[in-house]
Amino acid sequence: MADFKNILKYLFLYHEPDIQEEFILKEKESEKAGKEKTSERRKEISEDKQKTDNKSKTSKESHESKLISKNLTDNIEYLKKVYSIPTNGDIVLREFEIVAKDKTIPACIIFYDGMTDRTIIDLAILQPLMLLSNLEVKDKGKELLEYISKHLLVHNQIQITQNMGKVIEDINYGGCGVFIDGIDAAFACDVKGWEHRGVDKPETESVVRGPQEGFTETLRTNTALVRKILKDEELVVEDVSVGKRSKTPCSILYIKDIVNDSLVEEVRRRLKGIKVDYIFDTGELEQYLEDNPFMTTPQIIATERPDRVANALTEGKVAVVMSGSPFALVMPTTNIDLLQSAEDTYLRFPYVNLIRIVRMVAIFVSLLLPGLYVAITNFHHEMIPTDLLLAIEASREKVPFPSVVEILIMEFAFELIVEAGIRRPGQLGPTLGIIGALILGQAAVAANIVSPILIIIVAVTGIGSFSIPNFGLGLSFRLLRFIFIFLASVAGFLGISLGLFMYGIWSCSVKSFGVPFMAPTGPKTYSNFLEQFVRSPIWKKEKRPDYLNVKKVHKQAKISRQWSQDNKKKDKQQKYEIQK
Amino acid sequence: MEKKIIFGNREAISLLLIFMCNQLFLSFPRNMAESAGNAGWILTIYITVISLVLFLIISRLYKNFEGKDILDVAEFLGGNIGRILVGIIYVIDYVVIISVILREYGEDLKIISLVQSPISFVLALFAIGMVFGAFFGLEPLVRLGAISVPVIFLGFLITVVGSIKYFNFSNILPIFGTGLVEILIEGPSRTSVFSGLTSLFLIAPFLRSHDNFKKSGFIGLILSGLILTVGNLVYSLVLPYPSTTSNFLPIYQLSRLIEYGRFFQRIESIFVLVWSMTALIYLSAGLFFSAYIYKKTFKLEYHRPLIIPFGIIIFTLSLIPKSLMETMFIDNSIIRKYAWTVTFGLTLVLLILASIKIKVKEGRHKDEK
Repeated sequence: MADFKNILKYLFLYHEPDIQEEFILKEKESEKAGKEKTSERRKEISEDKQKTDNKSKTSKESHESKLISKNLTDNIEYLKKVYSIPTNGDIVLREFEIVAKDKTIPACIIFYDGMTDRTIIDLAILQPLMLLSNLEVKDKGKELLEYISKHLLVHNQIQITQNMGKVIEDINYGGCGVFIDGIDAAFACDVKGWEHRGVDKPETESVVRGPQEGFTETLRTNTALVRKILKDEELVVEDVSVGKRSKTPCSILYIKDIVNDSLVEEVRRRLKGIKVDYIFDTGELEQYLEDNPFMTTPQIIATERPDRVANALTEGKVAVVMSGSPFALVMPTTNIDLLQSAEDTYLRFPYVNLIRIVRMVAIFVSLLLPGLYVAITNFHHEMIPTDLLLAIEASREKVPFPSVVEILIMEFAFELIVEAGIRRPGQLGPTLGIIGALILGQAAVAANIVSPILIIIVAVTGIGSFSIPNFGLGLSFRLLRFIFIFLASVAGFLGISLGLFMYGIWSCSVKSFGVPFMAPTGPKTYSNFLEQFVRSPIWKKEKRPDYLNVKKVHKQAKISRQWSQDNKKKDKQQKYEIQK
Repeated sequence: MEKKIIFGNREAISLLLIFMCNQLFLSFPRNMAESAGNAGWILTIYITVISLVLFLIISRLYKNFEGKDILDVAEFLGGNIGRILVGIIYVIDYVVIISVILREYGEDLKIISLVQSPISFVLALFAIGMVFGAFFGLEPLVRLGAISVPVIFLGFLITVVGSIKYFNFSNILPIFGTGLVEILIEGPSRTSVFSGLTSLFLIAPFLRSHDNFKKSGFIGLILSGLILTVGNLVYSLVLPYPSTTSNFLPIYQLSRLIEYGRFFQRIESIFVLVWSMTALIYLSAGLFFSAYIYKKTFKLEYHRPLIIPFGIIIFTLSLIPKSLMETMFIDNSIIRKYAWTVTFGLTLVLLILASIKIKVKEGRHKDEK
C-alpha cells in the first residue's frame, strides 16, 4: 500500500530535478569583479598578471638564488615542496645513510623515474655510498665533501654546487641530486637514460648517394653525429638554453676559424633574446629566430641530415640543434640554398646540372602553371597555337564553370588529398590514392565538372611542388600558387608579372641573418657566382661564398687534383729522357 | 633613421638601363623614324655621342662633389633656396615623365591584351605595383633590376634574332633618311631620350666613389645607346619608311613577326611579361625618386609617407590625357624635346657655377694665407 502511495506521489507531485554536478572552469575572482567596468577590469587584469608574474618569478628566482642548507631535513622539506611530493608520481626521493667509521650520516637522492638510468644510479652512486663503510670522516664538512666526490661517487659526470636551482635544473633534465647531511652543497650527477629513438634514415631528405643517417631527438647524439663527420677540433658546440620554464637545451655549432664572429654573436644574441615559457621543436625556434615572419619563403634551412649541416658549417655557416627535435637549423640562408639538396655535392657534376634544371622547371610549374592556364584561357587565346587552342576549348565545351572556378576546385581537391595523405599514412594510404586518382580525377572529368587538360595541369603542378627539395619552400609555393591564380584571373599576364614583381621586390628586401636573401644574384657577389646555379666540377669550388664574409676564403688549393700535375711532370721528364 | 643605401656598379648600370631603355618598348623607334626617316638609328648614334660628351664634362665637374647628389650641389651653390628650387624642378620633371609613361604602358597593354578592361583599371594595377615597389625602397629595386635586366635583354635579343629573316637592306636607304641637316639640327634636343640619366645624379652618394659614378654613367650610356641603336636599326630594316611612322608599338610589332616553326608562332604574349616587369621596375624607381627628392628638398625625416600621395598624384595625372595619341604627343613633342634642359642643361649650369664657387673660395683661402 505504501508503495502504491509512493508511486502516486512520484507521478503527480512536483519534484526538484536532481542536482547533477557539472564541472565548470570558474573564472578567477579578480576577473569576475573586473567585468563590471572594463577599465577597472583591464587594470585588475594587469595587476593580476603582474602578481602572477611576480609569483612565478619569485618561485623561479627563489630556486635560482636558494642556497643548499647544511641540514638535510630542510633540504628534503624544500624538495618535497618544489616537486609536490607525494602528489607527483614519477619523482623518487630515496633517503639512506652513509655509514662512516664511528657515525652514520643521513643522505638522500632524488631523481625522476623513467628519465634516468637505474643501473648507473644503483651501481655508481648508491652502492659505493651505502656499502663502503670505512670512511675516514673528519669533522669538517668540506673534507667530507671532497672525500665523497673524489673517492666514493664513482660516476664520471658529477658537479658539486651550492645552488639549489642548479640541482633542480639538472634533475629536470634527467640527472639526480645527492644531498648529504652536514654539507651545504649537493652533487648533481648526469645519469640521463630515457627512452629514445635510434639513429635512423632521414625521412624527408632521402638521397641515393651519400650517408643515410639522420638526426634524432637527442641533443648529444645529434651533436656527436656532426662531430663524427667533421672530425675537426675547431668545431665548437656551444650550449644555450631557450625557454624560461622549459630551459630546453640547444647547441650552436660553428667552425671557429672559418665562421664570421659577428654571425655567431648574432645567432647567440637572438637565441638568448627569446622570452618564452616553453619551446619544444626547432620548428618553433625557427619562427622566433627568422628575420621576416610574414614572408612566405623560409629564411632558415631546417635539415634532418648531419652531413648537410657539416657541409654548411664548412662553408662558414652556423647551425642550431635543439634537444627534442630531429631537425637542425642552418643559417644564414639564401634563396639558392633552398633549391639545393644534400646529394648535389655527392653526384658528378653533369648529373647535378640536369637535376638542377629539372628543379627550376619544377619551381616554375608549381608556382605559375595554374595561373598561366587561367591567363591563357581567359585573356591570351592568341598565344597558343590554333590546334592546341581548339583541343582545350573542345575539352572545356561541356564544363559549366569558368576556368578559374574549375581550377580552384581541383587545386582545393588536390590540397585535400595531400593533407589527408600526411595525416592518414600507412594502411589507409592506398585507399586514399584510389579515391584521389579515380574519383577526383577520372570521375570529375566523366561528370563534366572539370576538363581533362585541367587534370593534367593540376597533376603536373602537384608533382612540381613535390620536386622542390626544401619542404618549406614547396609549401610556400603551394600557397603563392593560389595568389597567382587570383592575379591571373584579374589581369592575365599583367597580373602574373605584377605578382612576380611584388614577390621579387619582397625577396630582394629580405635579409637572413644580415645576408641579403637574393644573394648572390641581387646583390651580385663575386666568388662562386655561377656555382650557385649550375654546378661546376668539384675541383673548381675553390672559395667559400663571398656573402658570408668568412675568415678563410679558400677551401681548397688552386689545383686540388695535384696528382694530375704530377702526371704531367712525369710525362715531361720521360719525354726529356727519351730525347736524351 | 633610415638605413644607408649602398650598391655596386652592376646595380647602378641596370637601373640606368631600365631608366633609359624602357622607351624602346614604347614609341621610341617610331619617334626616331618620324624625326629622321630611315636614319633613326644614325640619329640615335648621334645623340648617344652628344650625351657621352656632355656626360664627360659633367663627370669631370662632378669630381669636386664626390658623394654628393645634385641637390647637395644646389645647396652648396645657393643654400636653401637653391636646393628647393632645383628640388622642385626635379620633382616636377619626374612626376610628369612617370605619369606620362604610366599612361603609355597602360594604354599599350590594353591594346595588346586587356582589350575589354577600362584604362583606369589597367593603370590602377600598375599604380599598385608602383607604390608597393617604391615602398620597399631603392635597394630591393636595384637588386631586382640587376636580376631582371638580363632576362629583359634576352627577350629583346629573341625579338632581334627572330626578325633577322625579314631584314631588307633597301629599307634603310637612303642612308641619311630625311636628310643630314635634319639629323644634325634635331639631334641635340633629342638627347632628352637620355633623361633617365638624372637618376645617376641622385644615386651618386650611394655609389661609394666618383670612379664608380663615372664608370656606371659611361657604361650605362654606351650600353643603352647600343641597345636603342640596334632596336632602331632592326625596326628600320624590317619595315619600310612610311609604315615605320605608323606603328605605335614598334618592338611589339617586330615580336609579332617571329615564327619558329608551326608551333611557336605567338611569342609576343611572353613579351607582355617582360614588358610589364620593365614598366613596374621603372615606375617604382621613378616614384621612389619623386618621394626621395621631395623629402630631401624639404629636409623631411622620412620618404615613405610621401609614397602613397605621390602615387595618387601620378595616377591621377596619368588619367588626364584623353587618348593614347595625346599621351604620345606629350611624350614625343614635349618631354623628349625639352627634358634635356633638366638632364644636361640644369646639371651643367649648376656644376659650372658650383665649380666657380669652389675656385673663388680656394682663391680667397690662398689670399688669406
